[in-house]
Amino acid sequence: MSRLRNLLRADWLGLLLLVLGGSAALAVVRPEFLTPYNIDVILVSFCLTVVYALGQGVIIAIGHMNLALGAIGCLVAIAFGGAMEVWHLPIWLAAVFGLLLGTICGFINGWLTWRSGLTSFIITLATLSIFKGTALGITQAQPFYRIPDAVKAFGSVRWGPLPAMLLLALPIVIATGIFLARMIPGRQMLAYGGNPNAAELSGISRARVVLLAHTLSGVLAAVAGMMTVARLQNATPAIGDEWLIASFAAPVIGGAVLTGGHLSVVGTCLGVLVVALINQALVMLAVDPFYVQVLLGLLILGAVGLNRLREARLGTTAPVRLS
Amino acid sequence: MQVTESALPAAAPEMRRPGGWGDAARSNIAGLLLANIVFIIAFALLASGFTSPINVYSLSRSIGIDGVIGLAMMTVIITGGLNLALGAIGVCGAMVVGWALQNAGLPIPAALLLGLFAGGALGAINGLIVVLTRLHSFVVTLATMSVFFGVMVLLSGAAGFNALPASLLAFGRLRLFHMVSPLLLVMAVVALLLFYLYRFTAVGREMLAAGANPVAAKLTGLPVERLFVYSHALCGAVGAVAGVMVSLRNGAIVPSMAGPLGADWLLPAFLAPVLGGTALTGGEVSVLGAVLGTVFVEVITSGLYMLQIGEFWIQTALGIALLAAILLERARAGAMLSRSLRG
Repeated sequence: MSRLRNLLRADWLGLLLLVLGGSAALAVVRPEFLTPYNIDVILVSFCLTVVYALGQGVIIAIGHMNLALGAIGCLVAIAFGGAMEVWHLPIWLAAVFGLLLGTICGFINGWLTWRSGLTSFIITLATLSIFKGTALGITQAQPFYRIPDAVKAFGSVRWGPLPAMLLLALPIVIATGIFLARMIPGRQMLAYGGNPNAAELSGISRARVVLLAHTLSGVLAAVAGMMTVARLQNATPAIGDEWLIASFAAPVIGGAVLTGGHLSVVGTCLGVLVVALINQALVMLAVDPFYVQVLLGLLILGAVGLNRLREARLGTTAPVRLS
Repeated sequence: MQVTESALPAAAPEMRRPGGWGDAARSNIAGLLLANIVFIIAFALLASGFTSPINVYSLSRSIGIDGVIGLAMMTVIITGGLNLALGAIGVCGAMVVGWALQNAGLPIPAALLLGLFAGGALGAINGLIVVLTRLHSFVVTLATMSVFFGVMVLLSGAAGFNALPASLLAFGRLRLFHMVSPLLLVMAVVALLLFYLYRFTAVGREMLAAGANPVAAKLTGLPVERLFVYSHALCGAVGAVAGVMVSLRNGAIVPSMAGPLGADWLLPAFLAPVLGGTALTGGEVSVLGAVLGTVFVEVITSGLYMLQIGEFWIQTALGIALLAAILLERARAGAMLSRSLRG
């Protein structure tokens, strides 16, 4: 058991070394990398990405996927902006409205997946288009610009290198970590992801696990959507368009297995940092942004390949599910 | 070969049905046909301009394009997998055609063949990775869509090809009987070829058997891995055809024609086969269903557009249609199962 724990520790130790080594190398080549402004840029991107990456992570944990993650973020973002601009709601009420909407969207995904027994891929592909179409239909693809100053400030204020958004992102990361590692519903989610049949036979309710994971995913997407509004200083229906790949990349780079049962919150955070660092490095070295796409794709392939090897070495590979 | 032949009926349930028309397929196709007729009549009565030559022309064109996109995805859904990189491959294939025509100066048939080959090769890369790593095609193609699209943009410098040969463009603009796009005929040819492949050729039947139950197919001596790579390569080649068709509609080949990373193709790609009754778990195929599914999608899109519902709400409507179709299909499968259990 302690050997296993050591190995597990060594897993994200490697990622940590990659992040530190990469940062050090970048700092040597480009000294301006270590300016507070630059660190703030990386941390802001970390704050936004880690929230929706965990939103995908909790779904990956039960072996499902949520293609509608970005669409929920988008719908909530414009609902949040619209509630403040058109309905003149106070900020807290608009935020509660946004959270509620994200909860409902996530619950719908979970309920449909649970009731139909179909793969979450096709269900969330359908709801993706419903949520996104609704967001675009309401706004006619126009952003809401009149965002209150307090919201804008939350997205732009920083103390030295530390952005204010860390105040929201860090508690979410810690809470998700505790939830998955220490709390009964979180453990049940991972158990279900590891082996749905065994979990059900040992008394874990499939309905509860599926509904919980999808709802949680909706809530996290909602938070990420509203944080993006604060950062962009407007609520545009383009929010969430580019979440899909990064939301899978970060947990997978962090060691998550797409068939479910395993999700490392620390690994996911480091995965997000790796992606943010690559982005920043390529910007600073003035490399074509499309190299980011290529690198990210290769990184996902490398990470899943490594996870596969590790499973084989640990001898924990579940019988290959071909269907 | 003897082993293969005797084992196939057990592996592919469709084989047991004479003529291959199962209950499920028939009722699905009948339902879709009925829905299509009802919607066409309704829109013809309600939406002025729905039956105008211009609208029929654009309808036939989008049925042609989205039909081929759906058929491309269908070829890999039958393995129980999927291909998120389809749009990226389609654009890559079209870009190769553009390069061959404009930069390499190849004649049109050679350029088209080269594009087909490029699409097939990229698809085969997907298939090889899936088979060698035994990872699910979702994560493999999620990664390769990023890689393929990124490399294509880097190689091309994000510049498109807008000086295509006049004869090729003229073909795209033809109006048969004043109101039918030739792209619809391209789709019909692709559909017929696929129908022939899955119905009458050994390799097509083997692809279905491998998708229906890989373990059983493997045990009966089928080269399951090789068949999966073939399926992915086929998907890439058909995707390249779709890429060229989109280019013909636009009159130019541009890297952004399928949206960011080619992701805009995903909804039509899954809508058509799923509406048409191709099971996402693999092993089943309905070419006619996929074509009717595309017709359904395009008729609804065009009709709602003519009713001035607003283009953004159409996306919502399509999502609801997809949801309704899969839930209905599920309910029917459940009803059929309980019936067969009783009987």
